Amino acid sequence: MTTPDTRTRIVAAIAKIAEVEPSRVTGAQRLREDLGMDSLGSLELLSLISEELKIDLEMEDAMDIVTVDDACAFIEKVRAEGERLVPQV
Amino acid sequence: MRRVLVIGASGFIGLNVVDALLAKGFTVRATRRGTTVTAFLRKRDVELVEASLEEPATLRAAMEACDGVILAGAHYPRYSIDRAGSIERGVLGVKNACAAARDARVRRFVFTSSVGVLDAAPAGRSADERDVAREIPTDSVYRAVKWAMEHEVERAALEGLPAVSLLPGGCIGPWDLRVGTGAILVGTVRGLIPWWTDGTVNMVDVGDVAAAHVAALEARPGTRYCIPGHDVRVGALLDRIVRRFGGVMPPLRLTHQEARRRADQEELEAAPRGARVPVPRELVDLVAAGQPVSAALAQRELGIPLTPLDVALERAHAWFVRFRYLPRPDTKEGITHDHA
Repeated sequence: MTTPDTRTRIVAAIAKIAEVEPSRVTGAQRLREDLGMDSLGSLELLSLISEELKIDLEMEDAMDIVTVDDACAFIEKVRAEGERLVPQV
Repeated sequence: MRRVLVIGASGFIGLNVVDALLAKGFTVRATRRGTTVTAFLRKRDVELVEASLEEPATLRAAMEACDGVILAGAHYPRYSIDRAGSIERGVLGVKNACAAARDARVRRFVFTSSVGVLDAAPAGRSADERDVAREIPTDSVYRAVKWAMEHEVERAALEGLPAVSLLPGGCIGPWDLRVGTGAILVGTVRGLIPWWTDGTVNMVDVGDVAAAHVAALEARPGTRYCIPGHDVRVGALLDRIVRRFGGVMPPLRLTHQEARRRADQEELEAAPRGARVPVPRELVDLVAAGQPVSAALAQRELGIPLTPLDVALERAHAWFVRFRYLPRPDTKEGITHDHA
Protein backbone atom coordinates (compact mmCIF):
# COMPACT_ATOMS: atom_id res chain seq x y z
CA MET A 1 0.00 0.00 0.00
CA THR A 2 1.46 3.39 -1.01
CA THR A 3 1.33 6.18 1.54
CA PRO A 4 -0.95 9.04 0.42
CA ASP A 5 1.97 11.48 0.21
CA THR A 6 4.10 9.14 -1.89
CA ARG A 7 1.21 8.35 -4.20
CA THR A 8 0.47 12.05 -4.67
CA ARG A 9 4.08 12.70 -5.61
CA ILE A 10 4.20 9.77 -8.03
CA VAL A 11 0.94 10.86 -9.67
CA ALA A 12 2.28 14.43 -9.91
CA ALA A 13 5.41 13.12 -11.62
CA ILE A 14 3.35 11.02 -14.05
CA ALA A 15 1.13 14.02 -14.82
CA LYS A 16 4.19 16.20 -15.45
CA ILE A 17 5.81 13.76 -17.87
CA ALA A 18 2.53 12.86 -19.61
CA GLU A 19 1.55 16.56 -19.70
CA VAL A 20 -1.94 16.02 -18.21
CA GLU A 21 -3.70 17.38 -15.16
CA PRO A 22 -2.92 15.29 -12.03
CA SER A 23 -6.67 15.03 -11.36
CA ARG A 24 -7.08 13.15 -14.65
CA VAL A 25 -4.58 10.42 -13.68
CA THR A 26 -6.22 7.24 -12.35
CA GLY A 27 -4.67 4.09 -10.92
CA ALA A 28 -5.82 1.79 -13.70
CA GLN A 29 -4.45 3.93 -16.50
CA ARG A 30 -1.67 2.39 -18.56
CA LEU A 31 1.43 4.57 -18.90
CA ARG A 32 1.93 3.78 -22.57
CA GLU A 33 -1.47 3.08 -24.06
CA ASP A 34 -3.55 5.55 -22.00
CA LEU A 35 -1.07 8.26 -21.09
CA GLY A 36 0.98 8.14 -24.28
CA MET A 37 4.31 7.61 -22.55
CA ASP A 38 7.04 6.11 -24.68
CA SER A 39 10.28 4.51 -23.48
CA LEU A 40 11.97 7.87 -23.03
CA GLY A 41 8.95 9.11 -21.09
CA SER A 42 9.19 6.09 -18.80
CA LEU A 43 12.88 6.79 -18.19
CA GLU A 44 12.16 10.47 -17.52
CA LEU A 45 9.43 9.49 -15.07
CA LEU A 46 11.54 6.99 -13.16
CA SER A 47 14.47 9.39 -13.06
CA LEU A 48 12.25 12.14 -11.67
CA ILE A 49 10.70 9.86 -9.04
CA SER A 50 14.02 8.39 -7.95
CA GLU A 51 15.45 11.88 -7.52
CA GLU A 52 12.42 13.35 -5.74
CA LEU A 53 11.96 10.41 -3.37
CA LYS A 54 15.71 9.84 -3.03
CA ILE A 55 15.51 6.17 -3.89
CA ASP A 56 17.70 4.04 -6.10
CA LEU A 57 15.64 2.40 -8.84
CA GLU A 58 16.86 -0.38 -11.09
CA MET A 59 15.60 1.21 -14.28
CA GLU A 60 15.48 -2.01 -16.29
CA ASP A 61 13.17 -3.67 -13.74
CA ALA A 62 10.95 -0.62 -13.75
CA MET A 63 10.54 -0.61 -17.53
CA ASP A 64 7.95 -3.42 -17.24
CA ILE A 65 5.56 -1.26 -15.21
CA VAL A 66 2.21 -1.08 -16.99
CA THR A 67 -0.24 1.00 -14.96
CA VAL A 68 -0.16 3.93 -12.54
CA ASP A 69 -1.01 1.54 -9.69
CA ASP A 70 1.88 -0.72 -10.78
CA ALA A 71 4.23 2.26 -10.59
CA CYS A 72 3.08 3.13 -7.07
CA ALA A 73 3.39 -0.50 -5.90
CA PHE A 74 6.83 -0.90 -7.47
CA ILE A 75 8.18 2.24 -5.85
CA GLU A 76 6.67 1.38 -2.47
CA LYS A 77 8.34 -2.03 -2.67
CA VAL A 78 11.71 -0.47 -3.49
CA ARG A 79 11.33 1.99 -0.60
CA ALA A 80 10.42 -0.78 1.83
CA GLU A 81 13.42 -2.86 0.75
CA GLY A 82 15.65 0.21 1.11
CA GLU A 83 14.41 0.87 4.64
CA ARG A 84 15.08 -2.73 5.61
CA LEU A 85 18.67 -2.29 4.47
CA VAL A 86 19.23 0.80 6.63
CA PRO A 87 21.14 -0.28 9.78
CA GLN A 88 19.08 0.18 12.94
CA VAL A 89 21.05 2.15 15.55
CA MET B 1 44.94 15.98 -16.64
CA ARG B 2 42.69 14.75 -13.86
CA ARG B 3 39.36 16.54 -13.62
CA VAL B 4 37.17 16.89 -16.69
CA LEU B 5 33.83 18.64 -17.05
CA VAL B 6 31.38 16.97 -19.46
CA ILE B 7 28.65 19.28 -20.73
CA GLY B 8 25.76 17.19 -22.01
CA ALA B 9 26.77 14.25 -19.82
CA SER B 10 23.24 12.86 -19.55
CA GLY B 11 22.89 12.55 -23.32
CA PHE B 12 23.79 9.74 -25.67
CA ILE B 13 27.39 10.64 -26.49
CA GLY B 14 27.85 12.29 -23.08
CA LEU B 15 27.06 9.19 -21.04
CA ASN B 16 29.44 7.12 -23.14
CA VAL B 17 32.15 9.77 -22.74
CA VAL B 18 31.61 9.74 -18.97
CA ASP B 19 32.07 5.95 -18.92
CA ALA B 20 35.21 6.17 -21.04
CA LEU B 21 36.68 8.86 -18.76
CA LEU B 22 35.88 6.92 -15.58
CA ALA B 23 37.44 3.78 -17.07
CA LYS B 24 40.64 5.77 -17.62
CA GLY B 25 40.68 7.03 -14.03
CA PHE B 26 39.59 10.63 -14.61
CA THR B 27 37.59 12.58 -12.06
CA VAL B 28 34.40 13.56 -13.84
CA ARG B 29 32.16 16.53 -13.24
CA ALA B 30 28.92 16.47 -15.19
CA THR B 31 26.40 19.17 -15.96
CA ARG B 32 22.69 18.74 -15.67
CA ARG B 33 19.69 20.93 -16.40
CA GLY B 34 16.30 20.90 -14.74
CA THR B 35 14.66 18.44 -17.11
CA THR B 36 17.59 16.07 -17.50
CA VAL B 37 17.23 12.30 -16.99
CA THR B 38 19.76 12.08 -14.17
CA ALA B 39 19.11 8.55 -12.97
CA PHE B 40 21.91 7.03 -15.02
CA LEU B 41 24.44 9.73 -14.12
CA ARG B 42 23.59 9.40 -10.43
CA LYS B 43 24.55 5.72 -10.62
CA ARG B 44 28.01 6.71 -11.80
CA ASP B 45 30.85 8.13 -9.75
CA VAL B 46 30.51 11.71 -11.00
CA GLU B 47 30.01 15.12 -9.45
CA LEU B 48 26.73 16.58 -10.74
CA VAL B 49 26.46 20.35 -11.16
CA GLU B 50 23.61 22.51 -12.44
CA ALA B 51 24.70 24.40 -15.55
CA SER B 52 23.21 25.62 -18.78
CA LEU B 53 24.80 26.84 -22.00
CA GLU B 54 22.47 29.84 -21.83
CA GLU B 55 23.81 30.89 -18.42
CA PRO B 56 27.50 31.88 -18.52
CA ALA B 57 27.82 32.19 -14.73
CA THR B 58 26.79 28.55 -14.26
CA LEU B 59 29.34 27.46 -16.86
CA ARG B 60 32.15 29.38 -15.19
CA ALA B 61 31.29 27.82 -11.83
CA ALA B 62 31.08 24.34 -13.37
CA MET B 63 34.51 24.68 -15.00
CA GLU B 64 36.29 25.82 -11.86
CA ALA B 65 39.35 23.65 -11.13
CA CYS B 66 38.77 21.54 -14.27
CA ASP B 67 41.71 20.66 -16.52
CA GLY B 68 39.57 19.77 -19.48
CA VAL B 69 36.09 20.49 -20.82
CA ILE B 70 34.13 18.30 -23.22
CA LEU B 71 31.18 19.97 -24.90
CA ALA B 72 29.06 17.00 -25.98
CA GLY B 73 25.72 18.70 -25.54
CA ALA B 74 25.58 21.66 -27.88
CA HIS B 75 22.25 22.62 -29.41
CA TYR B 76 20.59 19.97 -31.57
CA PRO B 77 17.63 21.37 -33.50
CA ARG B 78 14.69 19.03 -33.06
CA TYR B 79 13.06 20.21 -36.26
CA SER B 80 14.56 21.79 -39.37
CA ILE B 81 12.07 24.63 -39.31
CA ASP B 82 13.56 27.70 -37.60
CA ARG B 83 16.93 28.17 -39.33
CA ALA B 84 17.85 31.58 -37.92
CA GLY B 85 16.65 30.77 -34.40
CA SER B 86 18.43 27.42 -34.35
CA ILE B 87 21.72 28.94 -35.52
CA GLU B 88 21.45 31.77 -33.01
CA ARG B 89 20.78 29.41 -30.10
CA GLY B 90 23.53 27.00 -31.11
CA VAL B 91 26.17 29.69 -31.59
CA LEU B 92 25.28 31.47 -28.36
CA GLY B 93 25.67 28.28 -26.31
CA VAL B 94 29.03 27.44 -27.87
CA LYS B 95 30.24 31.03 -27.52
CA ASN B 96 29.34 30.96 -23.81
CA ALA B 97 31.10 27.64 -23.29
CA CYS B 98 34.25 28.79 -25.12
CA ALA B 99 34.38 32.05 -23.14
CA ALA B 100 33.97 30.24 -19.82
CA ALA B 101 36.67 27.73 -20.78
CA ARG B 102 39.07 30.56 -21.68
CA ASP B 103 38.39 32.25 -18.33
CA ALA B 104 38.92 28.95 -16.51
CA ARG B 105 42.22 28.44 -18.40
CA VAL B 106 41.41 24.80 -19.14
CA ARG B 107 44.16 22.80 -20.80
CA ARG B 108 41.88 21.37 -23.46
CA PHE B 109 38.38 22.08 -24.78
CA VAL B 110 36.93 19.21 -26.82
CA PHE B 111 33.94 19.97 -29.02
CA THR B 112 31.61 17.32 -30.44
CA SER B 113 30.86 18.46 -33.98
CA SER B 114 29.65 16.34 -36.92
CA VAL B 115 30.68 15.08 -40.36
CA GLY B 116 27.73 17.22 -41.44
CA VAL B 117 30.05 20.25 -41.50
CA LEU B 118 32.01 18.74 -44.41
CA ASP B 119 31.63 19.83 -47.99
CA ALA B 120 31.91 17.42 -50.90
CA ALA B 121 35.48 16.15 -51.28
CA PRO B 122 37.35 16.61 -54.57
CA ALA B 123 36.94 13.72 -56.98
CA GLY B 124 39.27 10.81 -56.36
CA ARG B 125 39.54 10.83 -52.58
CA SER B 126 37.44 10.43 -49.44
CA ALA B 127 36.47 13.54 -47.51
CA ASP B 128 38.58 14.46 -44.51
CA GLU B 129 39.40 17.32 -42.15
CA ARG B 130 40.45 19.58 -45.05
CA ASP B 131 36.93 19.61 -46.41
CA VAL B 132 35.07 21.62 -43.77
CA ALA B 133 32.75 23.83 -45.80
CA ARG B 134 34.08 27.36 -46.37
CA GLU B 135 30.59 28.84 -46.29
CA ILE B 136 27.61 27.98 -44.13
CA PRO B 137 25.47 25.27 -45.81
CA THR B 138 22.33 26.81 -47.29
CA ASP B 139 20.28 23.69 -47.95
CA SER B 140 20.12 22.20 -44.46
CA VAL B 141 19.23 23.70 -41.08
CA TYR B 142 20.98 20.89 -39.23
CA ARG B 143 24.22 21.22 -41.21
CA ALA B 144 24.07 25.01 -40.95
CA VAL B 145 23.76 24.90 -37.16
CA LYS B 146 26.59 22.40 -36.87
CA TRP B 147 28.77 24.46 -39.21
CA ALA B 148 28.06 27.70 -37.34
CA MET B 149 28.94 26.12 -34.00
CA GLU B 150 32.12 24.57 -35.43
CA HIS B 151 33.01 27.99 -36.85
CA GLU B 152 32.54 29.53 -33.41
CA VAL B 153 34.94 27.03 -31.85
CA GLU B 154 37.44 27.74 -34.63
CA ARG B 155 37.16 31.45 -33.91
CA ALA B 156 37.76 30.84 -30.18
CA ALA B 157 40.78 28.66 -31.03
CA LEU B 158 42.28 31.51 -33.04
CA GLU B 159 41.89 33.67 -29.94
CA GLY B 160 43.82 31.16 -27.85
CA LEU B 161 41.36 28.52 -26.66
CA PRO B 162 43.15 25.12 -26.78
CA ALA B 163 40.29 23.49 -28.68
CA VAL B 164 40.00 20.17 -30.47
CA SER B 165 36.97 19.35 -32.64
CA LEU B 166 35.68 15.87 -33.30
CA LEU B 167 33.49 15.16 -36.33
CA PRO B 168 31.68 11.87 -35.72
CA GLY B 169 29.36 10.14 -38.16
CA GLY B 170 25.95 8.90 -37.04
CA CYS B 171 26.52 7.28 -33.65
CA ILE B 172 24.90 4.03 -32.62
CA GLY B 173 25.19 2.12 -29.37
CA PRO B 174 24.10 2.07 -25.73
CA TRP B 175 22.46 5.00 -23.90
CA ASP B 176 20.68 6.42 -26.96
CA LEU B 177 17.86 7.60 -24.70
CA ARG B 178 16.32 9.99 -27.19
CA VAL B 179 16.84 7.61 -30.11
CA GLY B 180 19.05 9.60 -32.45
CA THR B 181 20.69 7.72 -35.32
CA GLY B 182 19.44 4.57 -33.59
CA ALA B 183 16.02 5.46 -34.98
CA ILE B 184 17.10 3.68 -38.17
CA LEU B 185 17.43 0.48 -36.16
CA VAL B 186 14.42 0.89 -33.85
CA GLY B 187 12.15 2.20 -36.60
CA THR B 188 13.04 -0.57 -39.03
CA VAL B 189 12.63 -3.40 -36.50
CA ARG B 190 9.31 -1.98 -35.34
CA GLY B 191 8.10 -1.35 -38.88
CA LEU B 192 7.60 2.37 -38.23
CA ILE B 193 9.51 3.84 -41.16
CA PRO B 194 7.16 4.49 -44.09
CA TRP B 195 9.73 5.79 -46.58
CA TRP B 196 13.45 6.14 -47.18
CA THR B 197 15.98 7.66 -49.53
CA ASP B 198 19.28 6.18 -50.58
CA GLY B 199 22.77 7.58 -50.26
CA THR B 200 25.92 7.15 -48.21
CA VAL B 201 25.85 7.47 -44.43
CA ASN B 202 28.70 7.15 -41.94
CA MET B 203 27.84 4.90 -38.99
CA VAL B 204 30.11 4.69 -35.98
CA ASP B 205 29.96 2.87 -32.66
CA VAL B 206 29.47 5.45 -29.93
CA GLY B 207 32.15 3.70 -27.88
CA ASP B 208 34.73 4.58 -30.55
CA VAL B 209 33.55 8.19 -30.45
CA ALA B 210 33.80 8.24 -26.66
CA ALA B 211 37.35 6.88 -26.85
CA ALA B 212 38.20 9.64 -29.30
CA HIS B 213 36.96 12.26 -26.82
CA VAL B 214 39.25 10.92 -24.11
CA ALA B 215 42.23 10.82 -26.50
CA ALA B 216 41.43 14.33 -27.72
CA LEU B 217 42.13 15.69 -24.23
CA GLU B 218 45.81 15.20 -25.06
CA ALA B 219 45.63 16.04 -28.77
CA ARG B 220 47.20 19.05 -30.46
CA PRO B 221 45.14 22.21 -29.90
CA GLY B 222 43.58 23.62 -33.04
CA THR B 223 43.14 20.18 -34.60
CA ARG B 224 39.95 18.55 -35.84
CA TYR B 225 39.44 14.84 -36.37
CA CYS B 226 36.85 12.97 -38.43
CA ILE B 227 35.40 9.91 -36.67
CA PRO B 228 33.16 8.59 -39.45
CA GLY B 229 33.14 4.87 -38.68
CA HIS B 230 31.78 2.90 -41.63
CA ASP B 231 30.59 4.24 -44.99
CA VAL B 232 27.42 2.39 -45.90
CA ARG B 233 24.52 2.88 -48.31
CA VAL B 234 21.18 3.41 -46.57
CA GLY B 235 19.54 0.59 -48.54
CA ALA B 236 22.29 -1.84 -47.58
CA LEU B 237 22.04 -0.78 -43.94
CA LEU B 238 18.27 -1.27 -43.83
CA ASP B 239 18.62 -4.66 -45.46
CA ARG B 240 21.29 -5.62 -42.93
CA ILE B 241 19.05 -4.60 -40.03
CA VAL B 242 16.05 -6.54 -41.34
CA ARG B 243 18.12 -9.68 -41.91
CA ARG B 244 19.78 -9.49 -38.51
CA PHE B 245 17.04 -8.22 -36.21
CA GLY B 246 13.76 -8.55 -38.11
CA GLY B 247 11.32 -5.86 -39.10
CA VAL B 248 10.46 -4.66 -42.56
CA MET B 249 12.15 -2.71 -45.31
CA PRO B 250 10.40 0.68 -45.52
CA PRO B 251 7.97 0.34 -48.42
CA LEU B 252 8.47 3.63 -50.28
CA ARG B 253 11.76 4.81 -51.76
CA LEU B 254 11.97 8.52 -52.54
CA THR B 255 14.46 10.74 -54.36
CA HIS B 256 16.35 13.24 -52.20
CA GLN B 257 14.12 16.05 -53.41
CA GLU B 258 10.94 14.11 -52.64
CA ALA B 259 12.34 13.06 -49.27
CA ARG B 260 13.12 16.68 -48.32
CA ARG B 261 9.60 17.79 -49.20
CA ARG B 262 8.05 14.90 -47.31
CA ALA B 263 10.22 15.41 -44.22
CA ASP B 264 9.48 19.15 -44.20
CA GLN B 265 5.76 18.49 -44.40
CA GLU B 266 5.84 15.89 -41.63
CA GLU B 267 7.92 18.12 -39.35
CA LEU B 268 5.53 21.05 -39.83
CA GLU B 269 2.65 18.79 -38.83
CA ALA B 270 4.50 17.25 -35.87
CA ALA B 271 6.07 20.40 -34.40
CA PRO B 272 2.93 21.91 -32.82
CA ARG B 273 2.39 18.62 -30.95
CA GLY B 274 6.06 18.25 -30.06
CA ALA B 275 5.91 14.85 -31.75
CA ARG B 276 8.67 12.99 -33.53
CA VAL B 277 8.64 12.16 -37.20
CA PRO B 278 9.66 8.80 -38.64
CA VAL B 279 12.42 10.30 -40.83
CA PRO B 280 13.66 13.73 -39.70
CA ARG B 281 14.80 16.28 -42.26
CA GLU B 282 18.33 16.33 -40.84
CA LEU B 283 18.72 12.65 -41.67
CA VAL B 284 17.63 13.30 -45.25
CA ASP B 285 20.15 16.16 -45.43
CA LEU B 286 22.96 13.96 -44.11
CA VAL B 287 22.10 11.23 -46.62
CA ALA B 288 21.87 13.72 -49.48
CA ALA B 289 25.29 15.18 -48.57
CA GLY B 290 26.66 11.78 -47.61
CA GLN B 291 30.05 10.64 -48.87
CA PRO B 292 32.89 8.34 -47.83
CA VAL B 293 34.92 10.02 -45.08
CA SER B 294 38.43 9.09 -43.99
CA ALA B 295 39.29 8.40 -40.34
CA ALA B 296 43.01 8.14 -41.11
CA LEU B 297 44.11 11.16 -39.06
CA ALA B 298 42.10 10.12 -35.99
CA GLN B 299 43.37 6.56 -36.20
CA ARG B 300 46.95 7.73 -36.60
CA GLU B 301 46.98 10.46 -33.94
CA LEU B 302 44.25 9.41 -31.48
CA GLY B 303 44.68 5.66 -31.87
CA ILE B 304 40.94 5.05 -31.74
CA PRO B 305 39.45 1.63 -32.47
CA LEU B 306 37.06 0.89 -35.34
CA THR B 307 34.34 -1.37 -34.00
CA PRO B 308 32.85 -3.54 -36.79
CA LEU B 309 29.43 -2.32 -37.95
CA ASP B 310 27.70 -5.58 -37.02
CA VAL B 311 29.10 -5.35 -33.49
CA ALA B 312 27.96 -1.73 -33.20
CA LEU B 313 24.46 -2.71 -34.35
CA GLU B 314 24.38 -5.62 -31.89
CA ARG B 315 25.39 -3.35 -29.02
CA ALA B 316 22.74 -0.81 -29.93
CA HIS B 317 20.07 -3.50 -30.38
CA ALA B 318 20.86 -5.07 -27.01
CA TRP B 319 20.51 -1.70 -25.27
CA PHE B 320 17.21 -0.87 -26.98
CA VAL B 321 15.86 -4.27 -25.94
CA ARG B 322 17.15 -3.85 -22.39
CA PHE B 323 15.19 -0.63 -21.98
CA ARG B 324 12.14 -1.82 -23.95
CA TYR B 325 12.49 0.47 -26.92
CA LEU B 326 12.37 -2.85 -28.75
CA PRO B 327 10.49 -5.94 -27.64
CA ARG B 328 12.53 -8.76 -26.19
CA PRO B 329 13.09 -11.41 -28.89
CA ASP B 330 11.59 -14.16 -26.71
CA THR B 331 8.30 -12.33 -26.07
CA LYS B 332 5.32 -11.42 -28.19
CA GLU B 333 5.17 -7.81 -27.02
CA GLY B 334 3.26 -5.74 -29.49
CA ILE B 335 4.09 -2.40 -31.02
CA THR B 336 3.15 0.40 -28.66
CA HIS B 337 3.10 4.16 -29.02
CA ASP B 338 6.84 4.56 -29.32
CA HIS B 339 8.01 6.44 -32.35
CA ALA B 340 11.53 6.12 -33.53
